[in-house]
Amino acid sequence: MERILATMPDIFMATGMTLALTIVSIVVGMLLGLVLALGRISKNPVLKGLTWTYIWVFRGTPMLMQIFFLFFVMPKILPALTTNAFNTACIALGLNSAAYLAEIIRAAIQSIDKGQLEASKALGMNTSLAMRRIIIPQSIRRMLPPVGNEFIMLLKDTSLVSAIGLTELLKIAKQMTSSTGDAIFYLPIAVIYLILTTIFTFVFDKLEKKYSIYE
Amino acid sequence: MIVLENIHKAFGSLQVLKGIDLQVVKGEVVCVIGPSGSGKSTLLRCINHLERITTGKIMIDGEIMDERRDNRDLLKISGHKVLSLCAEVGMVFQRFNLFPHMTALENVMEAPVQVRKVPKNQAAAEARELLVNVGLGDKIDQFPSRLSGGQQQRVAIARALAMKPKVMLFDEPTSALDPELVGEVLEVMKGLAQNHMTMIVVTHEMGFARDVANRVIFMDEGRIIEESSPEAIFSNPKHERTKAFLSRVL
Repeated sequence: MERILATMPDIFMATGMTLALTIVSIVVGMLLGLVLALGRISKNPVLKGLTWTYIWVFRGTPMLMQIFFLFFVMPKILPALTTNAFNTACIALGLNSAAYLAEIIRAAIQSIDKGQLEASKALGMNTSLAMRRIIIPQSIRRMLPPVGNEFIMLLKDTSLVSAIGLTELLKIAKQMTSSTGDAIFYLPIAVIYLILTTIFTFVFDKLEKKYSIYE
Repeated sequence: MIVLENIHKAFGSLQVLKGIDLQVVKGEVVCVIGPSGSGKSTLLRCINHLERITTGKIMIDGEIMDERRDNRDLLKISGHKVLSLCAEVGMVFQRFNLFPHMTALENVMEAPVQVRKVPKNQAAAEARELLVNVGLGDKIDQFPSRLSGGQQQRVAIARALAMKPKVMLFDEPTSALDPELVGEVLEVMKGLAQNHMTMIVVTHEMGFARDVANRVIFMDEGRIIEESSPEAIFSNPKHERTKAFLSRVL
């Protein structure tokens, strides 16, 4: 117990790292995912092909491999883009979750009745205005449950970046285990993951209720 | 106000409109009747570009909205121009198509604020007045899901009117309503007609067509079969197909 208490500041820092990675990555993923989703929906065959290929690659290869690729291989190909481990991790996690989020966003947008777009056009709105004011606000409600799911997955997947040396929760557990020879440290770390995922499940439930008021 | 010349519309190999000529003058109420599948709704949807015509010419208030032959534009009209002409044409849909995430007031304000750039407080005041006019002064802050079908359709009419259109198109506005809610929507439309709004109404409400229309058009299989005053068409239809249709619905 004392040993655990002595490591509290480290665990605290690591929790912060896991949270920072999750939140930066989900923001990157949502923004890129929205762009990809619009590309998938568009009638332009080049955009459609590019976004399809992106999603195909990032969903079809292991995330850990993508992290390694960005961290070890990219600096060799494009040295100018070399950055620190945190940025690399956020980019890798963001790029990967964007592929999943793109499909979630696309499905949500396409689930909106086409009468909504027709009504917007009949009122003189152009497509981008109709998307921004009418279609996307309605699709947010529909994408919240799967986005919440993706968020929880991402939070747990941040543990993969311990492999490129970032001290997040899993890494701290490994470090403490190897310095003390006692694997018991995995237990409190697992509890922290559980607490975090529980909090965010709760947050997403609240958001869903907030966006359901008009139903 | 509206001039349609030789309108053809095909979906793939299916010919839906086969040469429609129609002129509607300012303040006129034209009711379009006919069996389902006759192309009535498609005709309305072509007028404001929800469907593109295959061949023909559409003019609204002296301006060319569309001129095409065999799916090719004879006249390039900018998207901006099309949208601004669309805004002159109000449309009311069978299934209302209200924006569910906005209150009645927000539904009515949306296009004036976003498209016409009317200041918000002015748009809200006008929207409130429109909602009062359609008898929904007490439902201003309700979401559509809290309103009955008839109330939703009246909000939809107010929403279209908020753009101060020159013409109103009604695509079977009462077909999705419970029978006891039809009357309240027809009343609002009757009021518009009395205020000399130019209207094209696709409808199955023969009573409304008889009472309110200046002219009734009977369509079948993509053509206008017969058109005349409501008295003439309902009491003395000329064409066999009109007779057969009216004997089924009256």
